[in-house]
Amino acid sequence: MTEASTHHIRFTLNGSEVSADVKANDTLLNVLREQLGYTGTKRGCETGECGACTVLVDGKAVNACLILAPKVDGRAIQTIEGLAKGAELHPLQKAFIEEGALQCGFCGPGMLMSAKALLDEIPNPTEDQVRRGISGNICRCTGYAKIVKAIMKASRQMARVGGEGA
Amino acid sequence: MKKRGRGMACMYYPLGFTSYPNPSAAFAKYNPDGSATVLTGAQDIGQGSGTVLAQIAADTLGIPYDRISLIYGDTQAVPMDAGSVASRVTYIAGNAVKKACEQAKSILLDVAADMLGVLPHGLDVADGWVYLKDFPEKRVAIADVAKTAEVGRGRPAQGHGTYNPATTLLDKETGHGKPYEAFVYAAQVAEVEVDTETGEVEVLKIYAVHDCGKAINPMMVEGQIEGGIAMGIGYGLTENLVIEKGHVLNPQLANYIVPTALDVPPIESAIVEIPEPKGPFGAKGIGEPSLLPTAPAILNAIYDAVGVRIRDLPATPEKILAELEKLEKEKAK
Amino acid sequence: MSPVIGQRLPRHDAVLQVTGRSLYGEDIKMPGMLYCKVRRAGIPHARLIEVDTSAAEAIPGVMGVVTAKDVPFNAFGFTHLDQPVMAQDKIRYEGDAIAGVAATSLEVADQAAKAIKIKYEELPAVFDPLEAMKPDAPKVHKDNIPTHFTVVHGDIEKGFAEADKIIEERYTTQFVEHVHIEPHAQLAYYDPTGRLTVWTTVQRPFLVASDLGKVLKMPLSKIRVLTPCIGGGFGGKNEMTTEAIVALLSMKTGRPVKLVFTREEEFTATTVRHPYVMFYKTGVKMDGTITAREVKIISDAGAYVSWGESTLTKALVHAAGPYRIPNVRIEAYLVYTNNNIGGAMRGFGVPQAGYAYECHTDSVARAIGMDPMEFRMKNCVVSGDTLPTGQTLQNATLDEILKKLSSMSGWKVAGGDGR
Ligand code: FES
Ligand code: FES
Repeated sequence: MTEASTHHIRFTLNGSEVSADVKANDTLLNVLREQLGYTGTKRGCETGECGACTVLVDGKAVNACLILAPKVDGRAIQTIEGLAKGAELHPLQKAFIEEGALQCGFCGPGMLMSAKALLDEIPNPTEDQVRRGISGNICRCTGYAKIVKAIMKASRQMARVGGEGA
Repeated sequence: MKKRGRGMACMYYPLGFTSYPNPSAAFAKYNPDGSATVLTGAQDIGQGSGTVLAQIAADTLGIPYDRISLIYGDTQAVPMDAGSVASRVTYIAGNAVKKACEQAKSILLDVAADMLGVLPHGLDVADGWVYLKDFPEKRVAIADVAKTAEVGRGRPAQGHGTYNPATTLLDKETGHGKPYEAFVYAAQVAEVEVDTETGEVEVLKIYAVHDCGKAINPMMVEGQIEGGIAMGIGYGLTENLVIEKGHVLNPQLANYIVPTALDVPPIESAIVEIPEPKGPFGAKGIGEPSLLPTAPAILNAIYDAVGVRIRDLPATPEKILAELEKLEKEKAK
Repeated sequence: MSPVIGQRLPRHDAVLQVTGRSLYGEDIKMPGMLYCKVRRAGIPHARLIEVDTSAAEAIPGVMGVVTAKDVPFNAFGFTHLDQPVMAQDKIRYEGDAIAGVAATSLEVADQAAKAIKIKYEELPAVFDPLEAMKPDAPKVHKDNIPTHFTVVHGDIEKGFAEADKIIEERYTTQFVEHVHIEPHAQLAYYDPTGRLTVWTTVQRPFLVASDLGKVLKMPLSKIRVLTPCIGGGFGGKNEMTTEAIVALLSMKTGRPVKLVFTREEEFTATTVRHPYVMFYKTGVKMDGTITAREVKIISDAGAYVSWGESTLTKALVHAAGPYRIPNVRIEAYLVYTNNNIGGAMRGFGVPQAGYAYECHTDSVARAIGMDPMEFRMKNCVVSGDTLPTGQTLQNATLDEILKKLSSMSGWKVAGGDGR
């Protein structure tokens, strides 16, 4: 398989089937942003160090800049565009807004997806677990205090709603 | 062994450029439906000026915040601004927005006075109404007045404003002059733990007290303080772009170390709100000052903990260990 | 009445931010857009003999290449017109732009930028500002010291004579990068009627417009600078960087041209926080009265002045710290080297000075055995005090702040507030 050879891949993106023709060395980040027009996922370094490009692949938080597109064939991808259910924001999104968790917001999409992966795995995290969960996401603006607070708040909110629903 | 220490640092910092004029300009207009459009040259760069300036406009124009449309970001369409730099936006662009809104308001009040059959100076605006100050029951909706002004009288309720701080140049020989119009002040305490085996420093807690005049949006002021502290921790302990013979050796985030959520400790911050008479609603600024005291407070805490003063930033474990070794040798003498 | 001043309102665009709908620099696109790459010098100091772009131009997909020859007026700078859009006769640091390429894909642009041949003769370089101040040092520009300042207040000799103790220290600081998580991004389109539209991630759009007007020799009425959402600045997006290169490429190709910096370019070819070398000397009485403070600052400007002069004046005015000191002398020098360009960064020179004066002030307090908090409470400026620049302070709040900090942090001071 040469570098230039194209692959036809199919995967679910925020619940919908999509397909794309990608090169062997295309990253998932490029396919999302350039081919599919999903620019919510951000590019801050392209070397796996800033976390701005974090998306969920089969529920796990990964750096889209490090994943080669052919590898996501058949998998389920979630991006920031799919976090809200239509007009209804996810509890994390609401908490981020209420707590003033973001300033420039550039880290936000990656930060929110990391937080989502964290809460999916640990619904009631300690502050330390939250800090660990987002330690791969650099935010240069906020000092993380309000981000951590927002994630804790969302987890409480979700526990409440989940509890009531059960 | 792990040793704890505390250190503190103060700072003062000006709003605006040193000596040079740095004006802001703004335009404001009541729309005929009672909403308002405000144009500013001040760019929101993530610090929140877009929100703060809209808050200033809302209260000056007397209409709800969510009925303000604040427009920026087009040099062919919005009034000039010297830029989102120098902690100047809330104070200088805020003053410009306030003046523009006041001019629009004075036209609105003129027309309303006519409509209500009273004198304009007895009127004020709030919550979408123009009302008689001494008898608030007598009132008329801003939407009606704005519409009458524009459609009925041909006098649209709009205005513009500029602001430039009053400063002087510095004398070439003595450096004397008045380079700034207003200053903000701050002080922080850092508590640290230094590992004498590894030289590693853990920042345990930062206390930060800042003056920003009246806080237009306390949540954003806190955000600026917390973000500044994180940057100050990096400045004091880890960040170092290594340039050797003109060549950058660490041009990646893998080895240029910016603080993560694990490196920033709990922060307790307080705002000392003493209104500045020249600021819009008494406000000053906060953008840059938040970062200033953090690094020296941490370095002073390191001294307090282990008795070594690091005189070259950043205070890396290697430097601390080397100084500790020197200290041991001196003691042994 | 429901005033919103003083309320904890969320950002006006918070919903867009959390749903990924905010459009930042790289998110802006235009149909038919070309991709730009800038070729950088890669060497710190050299005479530039020739830039050969023929191999780059021959690569299929390359639509245009520009060099210094294409720039109508090749100099800009806020206080000193010393910085070229692209290097002309001389290379002064590794990040100097040499040429810009526009191509149909980023890969081709990248390949073409690498194919450009730079013919140069290496010059002896200088990287240490103290070395650069010496008369026989290699010259980065005509004179290695573009500017220096002095502040004199009271009688410094008398002040030191009155002191019980004199403490002298030397402090140095490092190069720091802004690391706004969003890299610089620019998109320029020169339309057939001669109007130039530039989207750019910048903190001072009006300054970029006027600098573009100067280097392109275009009237400002034909230049429109638009700003998308900006992913942080911290001073790193204060000025024009490569907008003129992208604009020239759009003029040459007739198509929109876009450039996004890599993270590596952010580290190697944008401004940094100036490293300072600072000498502090303070005279103090045993009762904690500061009698004199002398400061000398040497700022490493790097290859161009950029914000070097204005950061240095800010540092100069604040270098003695927020303390009541009757006798002060401050000297400050800006020095060219072949290092990365020092620019604006949050705090604008004062964090460097603040680190030094606050650590030094601690040393002074400890030298007379006084608690650092108490020492600061005793010496902090209050309303009515005069700064070394002769300015009288109004509405100073530091005394209130220290009281609050002392109680909040549990750092108790003998004798209450110390005053
Ligand atoms: S862009 Fe993927 S981690 Fe930075
Ligand atoms: S809000 Fe700007 S990087 Fe996080």
